[in-house]
Amino acid sequence: MKNKIKELRTKMNITQEELAEKAGVRRETIVFLEQDKYNPSLKLAHDVAEALKTTIDKLFIF
Amino acid sequence: MKLTFKQYNIIRIIIVLVLSMTIGSMMAVKNFFVPMILVALSTVVLMYLRKQVKGVLADERDYALGGKAALLAIQVWSWCAVVVMFVLLAFTDKNPVYEPIALTLSFSVCLLMLLYSAIYRYYNKIDFKDKKFIFTALVLAFFLAIFLIAGVRSFSGEDNWICDNGQWVKHGNPSFSAPEAECK
Repeated sequence: MKNKIKELRTKMNITQEELAEKAGVRRETIVFLEQDKYNPSLKLAHDVAEALKTTIDKLFIF
Repeated sequence: MKLTFKQYNIIRIIIVLVLSMTIGSMMAVKNFFVPMILVALSTVVLMYLRKQVKGVLADERDYALGGKAALLAIQVWSWCAVVVMFVLLAFTDKNPVYEPIALTLSFSVCLLMLLYSAIYRYYNKIDFKDKKFIFTALVLAFFLAIFLIAGVRSFSGEDNWICDNGQWVKHGNPSFSAPEAECK
């Protein structure tokens, strides 16, 4: 499953650490998400989308 | 006092290292009281430090990986223990000491599987009033009781060979012949 996390995070000018803090996860999880190496739970997908001020369907490409 | 995740990890490694060295040296002089106190103390200290860490210590990815790793560890341990158990049982006529070791291994595997099933069912939110579940629990409890009774009987040392003045002497009614190893 592809996603636009890195793209949106760069646009918002926030670090992985800051995004991780907002989403309530460790930085490593954000790294794995950005590299498409981890499929998040619905809650985490929602939290990341909220932190990046977008929606799940716009953030993740199914 | 607030700690970062990295600082917490470094302190944890240091505590584990010091604890291992202390336990090792204490065991060598047959002192079992100090290690017990140290393990309890370090657990409390680590729990306190864990609360001082700002940020997330573990998230859903860690729990998912932990679950997979735990399941694989259970499978690897179970297979190894069962294989070693059969090997040891095959050599019990050479040395009767192998039998309790083999039984300990088999009981540990049984207990591990029972615990895993119970915890899995707990997390799966099983209906504890379900008749099928009650029946399964009773059957498991019955087998566990048999295992425990058999275990107590095996470890009691009632039926075994004892070395007495250079000769193997029957103690009780052992089911196996006298060990071939030299009795000193």
